[in-house]
Amino acid sequence: MSVFGDYKKEIMDAAHNERIRLALSRAIKQYRANVDKTLKAFPQTIKLAEEVRGIKERAIGNMEKLAEQACRAIEANHGQAYIARTADDALNIIGGLVGSGKLIVKAKSMTSEEIGLREHLEEKGNEVYETDLGEFIVQKLGSRPMHILAPAVHVPKEDVAKLLSEITGEDLPADVEVLVATARKLLREKFFKADIGISGSNVVAAETGSLFLIENEGNIRLATGAPPVHIALVGMEKLVPSLADAWKVAEVTWRYANYTIPPYISVVSGPSCTGDIEKVITYGAHGPREFHVIFLDGGRTELAKHPGLRQLLYCLRCGGCLYECPVFGVTAGHFGDKYFAGIGAVWAAMISGDKEKAAALAYTCLTCGRCKVRCPMAIDVPEMVVELRKMLAAGG
Amino acid sequence: MNKKTKLIPPGLVYIADNITSKQNLLGAPKGSGARWAKDLNLPKEAETVFFAGCGYQYSASLESLMSIIRKLDKSPVGAGLPMGVASFTKRMGFDPAQLYRRLAAKDGDAAQPLLDAVKVLKGLGVEFGYLAEDEPCCGGILHYTGLEEDFAQNAQNLYKTLKSHGVKKIIGIVPSCTYTLAELIPKHVPGYDIEVKHFLQVVLEGIKSRELRFPREAKVIYHDPCQLARYLGLIDEPRRILKAIKGIELVEPDWTFGEWATCCGGGGGFEVVFPELSQILAVNRVKELLETGADIIVSHCPGCILQLEEGLKALKIKNVEVLDLAQVVAMAMGV
Repeated sequence: MSVFGDYKKEIMDAAHNERIRLALSRAIKQYRANVDKTLKAFPQTIKLAEEVRGIKERAIGNMEKLAEQACRAIEANHGQAYIARTADDALNIIGGLVGSGKLIVKAKSMTSEEIGLREHLEEKGNEVYETDLGEFIVQKLGSRPMHILAPAVHVPKEDVAKLLSEITGEDLPADVEVLVATARKLLREKFFKADIGISGSNVVAAETGSLFLIENEGNIRLATGAPPVHIALVGMEKLVPSLADAWKVAEVTWRYANYTIPPYISVVSGPSCTGDIEKVITYGAHGPREFHVIFLDGGRTELAKHPGLRQLLYCLRCGGCLYECPVFGVTAGHFGDKYFAGIGAVWAAMISGDKEKAAALAYTCLTCGRCKVRCPMAIDVPEMVVELRKMLAAGG
Repeated sequence: MNKKTKLIPPGLVYIADNITSKQNLLGAPKGSGARWAKDLNLPKEAETVFFAGCGYQYSASLESLMSIIRKLDKSPVGAGLPMGVASFTKRMGFDPAQLYRRLAAKDGDAAQPLLDAVKVLKGLGVEFGYLAEDEPCCGGILHYTGLEEDFAQNAQNLYKTLKSHGVKKIIGIVPSCTYTLAELIPKHVPGYDIEVKHFLQVVLEGIKSRELRFPREAKVIYHDPCQLARYLGLIDEPRRILKAIKGIELVEPDWTFGEWATCCGGGGGFEVVFPELSQILAVNRVKELLETGADIIVSHCPGCILQLEEGLKALKIKNVEVLDLAQVVAMAMGV
């Protein structure tokens, strides 16, 4: 069957799957109520989002310089920094740092999904644990993320209970609190036994080489704090000039991801160190001894030159648009590739190079425009999708 | 049609071909969409013209075509023809133009919103003409399909046609056509000087001091078409009109109205590429709307009207009616 035929079968199976629809209808309702409450409590976020759009517009035009600046800053902080031009370059750099036979704890990162990092490291003979609960569920199901922030958004609690019961050999109820406690128990020791922790980053301040990590669960603090080595993979579009800019980007991101304030915002700029014994600075105190940051281009600098499509890089990955997409509402991430829905079609065209898949996704977008209404960066997804269709119609 | 179209779903290529060759979505004989207005004696040369658009003019035919496409899409035959309206029509000897001729009689009823819109405009004292069989297709679908060169060519031809009839101002009614005429076409026509207004804007100006009464008491919910609400920004206008009509109680769904309205699932040719999914989305939208207990769903787009009716049919709901806003206004004006 053709790429389109396979894809159409996949989304139609999803559209007929009552479990997916049940899980999504609960999630969408909850998301809208939460974000509504959040924006009412912090109405200044809307104005801040406009300011952040300006910050992103300028930063995207200057990604290359910001990446170089961030690399210098990270190295000044006694970390190592790299610019990977392609996904393969990134895999080779990280693969070289990791080697084989290692235990790895991973924070959720869409950029690592984008390049297939977990699979690559597993193939090299490493044991990799996804530690974000949703991502852990998806990994154990042998599935793939179906939302950029809530990877298991398509799995209702009853199915999670079944999965964790199989893993633990216990008969667990479909009680969210019990399920969360079970995951905690399962992953606890892995954080402290792990050789390496891997994360992404929500936004990076180039002037200091500081990575901002926003989270609720506490898994990122453990994954990036407990093991002796921290490796971070970051798309170049996450770079902004200053710490003050980064803070603004972070604040808008979590508000539109429906949080008033997340329990944890970590800012990591280098390996841990101490000067407490005779003022001799020694790297590798309680946190990691090694800190590696890989900035991924992967088509981003090329995309930044395209007048109609560069707005893709303004995306903060808050995930709000997905909850507003009527097609996503019945198919979840099956309407997607590495990234989802209309905006995911543009990512697919850029990063996968699979024109047929990109076309299948591009023509699945209704161009209804509700995603644009939600987007804090006012990214015009229908406009981008039509732009992409023009490119595809002209032969790609 | 350029050659490099293998990445475009054939269903859309088929529609695009119809536009470029026949100046309508369906591939019906050129100009045949004008029959609804044959007894109205609207002048063909006028500074202001009413732009009827394919959607309403051919809606009965589109409805029948869609029902065939939907059945096909669900059947084993359809599974092997994932996007192939065009290839299907070839292989099965199916000819939409012939279907169109068979259904010609039915089109009169389906054009009711157009007839009502004309009555409303006349009733409000608006002077306008109608280009009838010379009305060009706006070509919007060409743009949304990604065939920008074809769209640009169509836009330039359209402008010439309008100018040759002395048109200075258009009153559009189909949301997508109106947006295309107002925003997309000017990008390809240097010096484009046609003023474009939507029917609702004209109505709202006209009804100010009029007594409007619906023939019965009704709980009405309004479904915002995407192109009307989010593209043209006409969100308050339809509501102000509905609220001005005595006998109508306007209700809104939870969250999904105005700029947050849920698409009916019939956007930009989607229904031709994903007919079954399109139907699922129509059902979902109807469910959202009916949670309010409304007994009439009002919308103002031929695509939405078809989809909402399809949704009701799939849910086997018989006591809820779908009406076009033009019909509602005509009833309330008693014209």
